[in-house]
Amino acid sequence: MSISRRVTLGWIAAASSTTALLGCDSQAPKSPKVGRWEDVALEPLTAPGYGQDPNLVDPMVPWPLTLNPSQRETLRIAADLMLPADAHSPSAGTLHLDAFIDEWISAPYPVMQADRPLIVSGLAWLDAESDHRFGKNFAQASDAQRREVFDSVAFKDKVKPDFVRPAEFFVRLRALMLGGFYSLPEGMKDIGYMGNTPSTGEYPGPTPEALAHLNAALVKLNLKPV
Amino acid sequence: MLQQAPSAAFEPDVVVVGSGAGGGMAAYVLTRAGIKTLVLEAGRDYDPVAENSMLKWNHEAPLRAGSTPDKHFGYYDATANGGWTVPGEPYTVAEGSKFRWWRSRMLGGRTNHWGRHSPRFGPYDFKPYSRDGLGMDWPMSYDEVAPWYDRTEKLVGVIGANNGLENHPGSSPGVLLPAPKPRITELMIKAAANDLGIPCIPSHYAVLSRDIDDPHVPRQACFNASPCGRGCAIGAAFQTTTSLLPMAKATGNLRIVTNATVTRVLTGADGKATGVEYFDKAGKAQVARARVVVMAASACDTAKILLNSKQGGLANSSGQVGKNLLDTTGTNVRGHIPALESRPRYNEDGLDVAHLYIPWWLYKEQSAGKLDFPRGYHYEIGGRFGAPGASLPLGGMEDGYGASLKEDARRYYGAQLSYTVRGEMIPNAGSFCELDPDVKDKYGMPVLRFHWKWTEHEIRQIAHGIKTAREMIARLGGTVLTPDRPPEEAIEDGGVIIHELGTTRMGDKASNSVTDTFGKAWDVGNLVIVDGSVFTSNAHKNPTLTIMALAMRSTAHLVERMKKGEI
Repeated sequence: MSISRRVTLGWIAAASSTTALLGCDSQAPKSPKVGRWEDVALEPLTAPGYGQDPNLVDPMVPWPLTLNPSQRETLRIAADLMLPADAHSPSAGTLHLDAFIDEWISAPYPVMQADRPLIVSGLAWLDAESDHRFGKNFAQASDAQRREVFDSVAFKDKVKPDFVRPAEFFVRLRALMLGGFYSLPEGMKDIGYMGNTPSTGEYPGPTPEALAHLNAALVKLNLKPV
Repeated sequence: MLQQAPSAAFEPDVVVVGSGAGGGMAAYVLTRAGIKTLVLEAGRDYDPVAENSMLKWNHEAPLRAGSTPDKHFGYYDATANGGWTVPGEPYTVAEGSKFRWWRSRMLGGRTNHWGRHSPRFGPYDFKPYSRDGLGMDWPMSYDEVAPWYDRTEKLVGVIGANNGLENHPGSSPGVLLPAPKPRITELMIKAAANDLGIPCIPSHYAVLSRDIDDPHVPRQACFNASPCGRGCAIGAAFQTTTSLLPMAKATGNLRIVTNATVTRVLTGADGKATGVEYFDKAGKAQVARARVVVMAASACDTAKILLNSKQGGLANSSGQVGKNLLDTTGTNVRGHIPALESRPRYNEDGLDVAHLYIPWWLYKEQSAGKLDFPRGYHYEIGGRFGAPGASLPLGGMEDGYGASLKEDARRYYGAQLSYTVRGEMIPNAGSFCELDPDVKDKYGMPVLRFHWKWTEHEIRQIAHGIKTAREMIARLGGTVLTPDRPPEEAIEDGGVIIHELGTTRMGDKASNSVTDTFGKAWDVGNLVIVDGSVFTSNAHKNPTLTIMALAMRSTAHLVERMKKGEI
């Protein structure tokens, strides 16, 4: 397990910024409910970004995190369900993907601020959907019950009309978790990224095994092998 | 750090405005000829060794080093205090136009992060009007520039191989550095391209595959890691801050002043340049006097400075300053290739740059009238086991969650190919920059207002590029991932490819151009322009190598004139 300095900084910021939390009880108007989905209204963030000339040698996240402990717990459980431990790598929850998602949606930039209401509303939806079905929130639900909730939004072309918006949340959460997870050392090892490693001499190019695989593929495509 | 304390004893013969590709080359040539040279750089000092982030991991940076408005090309990109906006230095875009302007404010300018793709222009590219009646011919032929390409490539260090293809000229023996072995993805693209009659050949990049020895500024061969855009502390990927500027400094004839934003070229009663006005770090106006002024502020900033130097613009009797603004056409087509799924892993970083590329190949068909657009494009090809960052490209093939999602990630990682179109734009009357009548920058100077228009030439060319890329993906049994948009929508906005050129174009007479073949302003004999603004046309071949070759040629000519006492 790795806890990078960046993540640790994020935790410190989270602990000191609970007042920045804005949740379902916000005063802003809400959009009509579809199924159990409700768009959570959030006040805009005011923290500055890292600027146009940040320190590249010793990077840090300057903005405070904004999710509360219960939202973080829901995210951690969702991360473990999204990318569970297997023989190749640990689970996303144990690698603190909840902290990464918090860092992401708390960043004062347009893309992240477009993600923020989707993710925050989505976390609320996980609880609401779970409560509707099982009378308990997502964290209290059993693993099988959580899977039932996930199953209704996770698969292409199998999303029912009431679940379109929750499915958008799920797709975005999955994309963020894939990037966040596989960019960690454990994820890179799992997926087989072998670069960012200096070597002297000429670039060796593909291995014989990689070339053999390519040539087999080219032959199947009726193309000339290399 | 390259900047030295200002010395009262240092009286420059030449002041060079800008420290990027053109300014760096001018400073190199001038100082080695024994000419005292002052380089003024608008940005801050920059030390690519002390500030390098070469081997840092994406997860060590905020947002996994992903793109933000503060750092568009990611957290580690070697652009300081710049991007699509520069604080205090706005620009405007005329109604109905779309244009974006990338700037950096640092020593070495945009050479610290540039793509390093370095193809030569060919014989046709210098005589476009003669071939199809569009635009204007350059005032020189390829043969006149070829020796300067050789010298520049040797100095800069360029990988590649001669290919013998029409209008893709080779380098003299011993000039190019050996090309690296292609990656699996590139070999696959080549196989399908060749099958369709399309060439795919070793690309030329300003990255070293061999050490370059220099007594003062040794540069190492690429160590096969780190994105070039982060800047290169070992000097393998070319940038002026690890090469031309320290080489020039070693002569003892160079002074650099950073945080010096030039606003005007100053002229005397005889109309000759006497120096420049600049604003220092404290925001105080200063004057730097010299016998000669060399402009290398980048195409649009050079135009802006000239337009602000005098009512109606300095060196603007032709009315061409700011006109003929060019960029490169661009679009991208990506595909998912099932045959690449679950392929064997190996380190695919290589020299970071693309080891192969697809040059323009339809000259004969074009001459025969078989194409509905003039001029060419090339494909910069991509696809590899890239460093995972803020997103993990799986081609949208991933589905569900849990153990199967992890299997999806392993299966689809490295199975996408990308074909990036880069094409020639022809100058048109609707694409130019001028001074905004209302908006001023923090120095009180009018800012640039951009006008932009693509014509049917560019739109049809992009349509062809998209169609052909889709055919190549189909030949590999792949699925096109990029939405099939009409070319008018698929083409990137003006400026986005960051190849601004043409705003002080060179020509064979003072009536149709701003400078002569050596970048000498027709109207001001001791004003020489050595950045991309002098381009008469913008072949699809990425411009920086040509900027440097022409800067070397023009500055060598300037040195001759100075030695002869002509100025």
